[in-house]
Amino acid sequence: MTTLHNTSTHSRPIPNPSKSLITKLNMGTGLVVGVIFAFAAYYAFRPNADTAGFYNQQNKALLAAMLFWSVGFLIGIGAFIGPFRWLIGKDLTAEEQLYLAGDGQGVKRYFKYCTDHKVVGIQYLVGVMAMLAVGGGMAMMIRTSLAVPGGHFIGASVYNSLVGMHGITMIVAMIIVATGPFGNYIMPIMIGARDMAFPRLNALSWWVLFTAIPVLCSAWFLGGIPTGWTAYAPLSVQAGPGMNAFVATILIFAVSTAVAGMNVTSTVVAMRAKGMKWNRVPIFVVGATMSVALAIPAFPTFMLAMVQTATDRVFNTGFYDANVGGSGWLYAHLFWIMGHPEVYVILLPGIAILMEIAPVFVRKPLFSYNAAIMGFAGIAGLSVLVWAHHMYISGWTPTLNGPFMVTTEMISVPTGLLFLVMLGTIWRGKPWMKLPMLGLFAVIWNLLIGGITGIYLSDVPADNYLHGSMFVTAHFHYTLMGAALTGAVAGLAYWFPKMTGRMLNEPAGYTAFWFTQIGFQVLFLGMFIAGAEGQPRRVVSFAAMYKYSNMISTGGAYLVGIGFIILLWAVIHSWRKGDIAPQNPWGAKTLEWTVPYPVPLENFDEAPIITSDPYGYGKGN
Amino acid sequence: MSNHDEELTPTPGQRAINLFRRTDVQRALLFTILWTAVFVILGLYFYPKWMPEVMSVDMKSMERIMIGFTIISAPIAGLVLGIATQAITNRHKGDTPPPDGPAVRTNGPIVAVWTVVSGIFCLIAIVWGIVEVNTMANAATTEAGTAVHVQVIGSQWVWSFKYPDQGVESDKLMLPINRPVVFDVISEDVNHSFWPVQLGVKVDANRLQTTVIHTVPTKLGNIDVKCAELCGLYHAYMETSGKVMTTDDFNNWITTNGGHVA
Amino acid sequence: METTTSTTSSSKRLISALVFVVLGVAIVGVVGFTLHTLSADPQKPLYATKSADTIEIDGKSYPKASAVLGVYPDKATAAKYGFTANRHDYVQYGPSTHLVLPAHTYVTITIHAYDSGEHLNNPYFGKVVGTIGGTINVDGVDVNNIPSDNVEHTFTLHGIPSTSQDPLFVNVPLPQVKQDDKGNNIPTNDPGTQGAGHTVTFSFLTGSAGDYVWNCEYPCGDGTYAKFGAAMSAYGYMSGKVTVA
Repeated sequence: MTTLHNTSTHSRPIPNPSKSLITKLNMGTGLVVGVIFAFAAYYAFRPNADTAGFYNQQNKALLAAMLFWSVGFLIGIGAFIGPFRWLIGKDLTAEEQLYLAGDGQGVKRYFKYCTDHKVVGIQYLVGVMAMLAVGGGMAMMIRTSLAVPGGHFIGASVYNSLVGMHGITMIVAMIIVATGPFGNYIMPIMIGARDMAFPRLNALSWWVLFTAIPVLCSAWFLGGIPTGWTAYAPLSVQAGPGMNAFVATILIFAVSTAVAGMNVTSTVVAMRAKGMKWNRVPIFVVGATMSVALAIPAFPTFMLAMVQTATDRVFNTGFYDANVGGSGWLYAHLFWIMGHPEVYVILLPGIAILMEIAPVFVRKPLFSYNAAIMGFAGIAGLSVLVWAHHMYISGWTPTLNGPFMVTTEMISVPTGLLFLVMLGTIWRGKPWMKLPMLGLFAVIWNLLIGGITGIYLSDVPADNYLHGSMFVTAHFHYTLMGAALTGAVAGLAYWFPKMTGRMLNEPAGYTAFWFTQIGFQVLFLGMFIAGAEGQPRRVVSFAAMYKYSNMISTGGAYLVGIGFIILLWAVIHSWRKGDIAPQNPWGAKTLEWTVPYPVPLENFDEAPIITSDPYGYGKGN
Repeated sequence: MSNHDEELTPTPGQRAINLFRRTDVQRALLFTILWTAVFVILGLYFYPKWMPEVMSVDMKSMERIMIGFTIISAPIAGLVLGIATQAITNRHKGDTPPPDGPAVRTNGPIVAVWTVVSGIFCLIAIVWGIVEVNTMANAATTEAGTAVHVQVIGSQWVWSFKYPDQGVESDKLMLPINRPVVFDVISEDVNHSFWPVQLGVKVDANRLQTTVIHTVPTKLGNIDVKCAELCGLYHAYMETSGKVMTTDDFNNWITTNGGHVA
Repeated sequence: METTTSTTSSSKRLISALVFVVLGVAIVGVVGFTLHTLSADPQKPLYATKSADTIEIDGKSYPKASAVLGVYPDKATAAKYGFTANRHDYVQYGPSTHLVLPAHTYVTITIHAYDSGEHLNNPYFGKVVGTIGGTINVDGVDVNNIPSDNVEHTFTLHGIPSTSQDPLFVNVPLPQVKQDDKGNNIPTNDPGTQGAGHTVTFSFLTGSAGDYVWNCEYPCGDGTYAKFGAAMSAYGYMSGKVTVA
């Protein structure tokens, strides 16, 4: 591969459009305007004396306050200055645009509406780590409560909220865990682009997501959510004021994913370097793009489901109320039409990261690039046709269980191709057991267990027994946490030098790896057993016969918790004081390793020209 | 694959023999066999041990699938883990990248064989599943006449059972042995999921929408009835017990509760 | 970034990591215990009063115990649960929703009920289940059933069947109090002294020690789906625990 680049430090005059409003706006002004908007909306929609007793009036005021908070924050941080200028027939000046990119503004730019894709990537990374930490902490409390039969540690109502808040926090975090930090920071450099296709939308996607976080947290102060993250109706319609926070979170998050998905897809389609034909695109870029492209059709249905939940709660529309002709199955369909593609939205980038890593660490080309593409495309394509396997036992048209079983089990074939690519790449190589590579082996094991248990669950008679049990919980944690999260952490270890300029501390990294992975196996082995024994999921209390399996699970959970705290230490410590990384510590051939740290504002001084794919490793290549 | 270090192109037979002489292939095979054995043992020994007593035809079918699918997938899991384990035994230590490996970019026949074989395994699973589903559906139509009908009512957070033909209502699920039973499940409020654990069946309870499942209890003993769909505050406590009893005991129970034998 | 090696020694790093882990565990622990405290039952358990009497049932002798409950919106002890504020307007079982009953005992519970009502979601819960004789005593009259449109609340005691605890299922419907024009049938404190209530008495046998719950099956969460939200879904008003010790 030939690339033309200039590694000299490039200096630019720091722009200072001091008269422009954009220099005055930041997260602080966003918070102020957001809070003002929230209170104004609550005041405008507040229940009056006649309607004070009606829950739907309370729901209306709360939902309005939450959505207006988001809009207000975005106005306050200056997200709409560009569109507003267009409305009055102007645009930002070149100087202002350069200012928005945050060049030379140091740490401050992370708290501003900054259009530089690298800044957005770091914002996502820190945000995701915070969410995972909070979600993980909630998991520890759930497991503590389930340590012994009887469930005395956390009360039933708070326990149910914990389950739901853990779920939604983790799902949101996992959807962005790879495409957020790496898709924003690394991917544009990987394809030789100077930035994303729509840098202002890129900043928008992050700050919209950011506004969802306080909304979600507010659920705790409004009585929690009793529904779990699936928010099944009509339970969600019955639920108290905390449910409004859930609804508003999803409405806001769906906007963020739509904007981000459109932006990533456009960037990859339109911004690749000269010569980067489709068969020369790094596999991570392919996987991440398929993932966000899959999210584009998936999330609007979730948004719609939530809009209907909101109208049921506020205007008593009865979409999900069978008493007035609605149906809970409508919700289940809308939810799972999003819900099943969504697990592959989470999984694909994680696997793609490992495929990016494997050739570098075994010094062999990626085995069968085409099989990898077919695997990703096959999964993405089939995943929109399988949603009703979540509804085998819902009683909705049992005749269709057969066809949905067929499509679901067919997914094992493209998934098998992903295994083949990973195994073919490491076969006959000498894997260099650095942290990223350990992740690959862990994921092979975890995804295998998650995949095989998925085959049981896809089978109708087995699902008749296992559905809604702890077995399902263990299964999807193997795929989402064991495979997707481990893949993302491997990606963090791999790209850490490029994103922070320092190496991730290895001893701490290895310790964290073994704690989390061993703990993980113990935790979910126990949960598989509890599920096979017949323990339903999401229960605050369970019979004494499940005592041992739950005790094992809780022990494993504590190991995982300690492992992730060690990992967090490793990240924080290495970011501040780690060993300075060379430009290309792993000897990789993708474009991001050709640029220095700190990566200059527009990445490349001279646009790279691509003449081959980045997997030209090995003898005789 | 690059063969330029060999002087003559070997025949396919010789190539196969050469392949199995390679230590990495031998090692991978050995690990494959070991891992396959692990999964077979898991299926044959552990699943039946973990799962509750088989008390109905559906539970039997479920257990068969758990064991069968585990054994079918054992060689695949074995191969995947065998190759991975072999790679780990061949790992590279140190702070510099390992030497270059062979520049194999793909191997058409291997990709084809892998795809076809995984397709066949997938097909076995699909056909097996469809046959089981079909058997269940057929059983439903043939058994309907002699069946005991139980109306299962889920309300937040208690189950109750109505025996319309016998005129009995109960908070416990009592069933006669070896007689088909049809559950008509309904909810008074939010969604629940009716799960008589040892019977291996489950169906959601929906408001104003009766869902139906059926099974044949084949063994005397206690049943745990649970709710498998999060239904609010006391979801965890939405449980009750039940019993599969002899026909005489069942009839006695009906009459002592003011019903009539039907 | 003046050097290419780490700026801290390895022992310092180890200490820093250990401190971080301890701190991390401590933070999660503190948050966990905060939730534990906030989600704990705010009400003091109500212990059944044991008496010296015994009673013989089916040839076995049981000691006796009793407890008195009231159903009314209690301003003094209205439940506070989690992060939700006190709702004085919610009707609740009082003085506590957590009952502690002695094991293997003939327990008699008296409930003073002061609420009105409409009708049950599931008529089954108009039936008396699990009491001695299958009846309850309403203002001196034994009944085994209350029509589903004449129920104000129910006391439905159940739990998780398990090898380690005996099953216990009791369902007691409470008859409605017809409200007068002034709507003053519902007292706000001191049950049994004002308003026109019903006194319902029933007895059942406890088994060996175990944890159970009870909840009301009369849908009184007006304005919510199936009327099972609000007070019905908030712990401590229409639901509680029963500990057999």
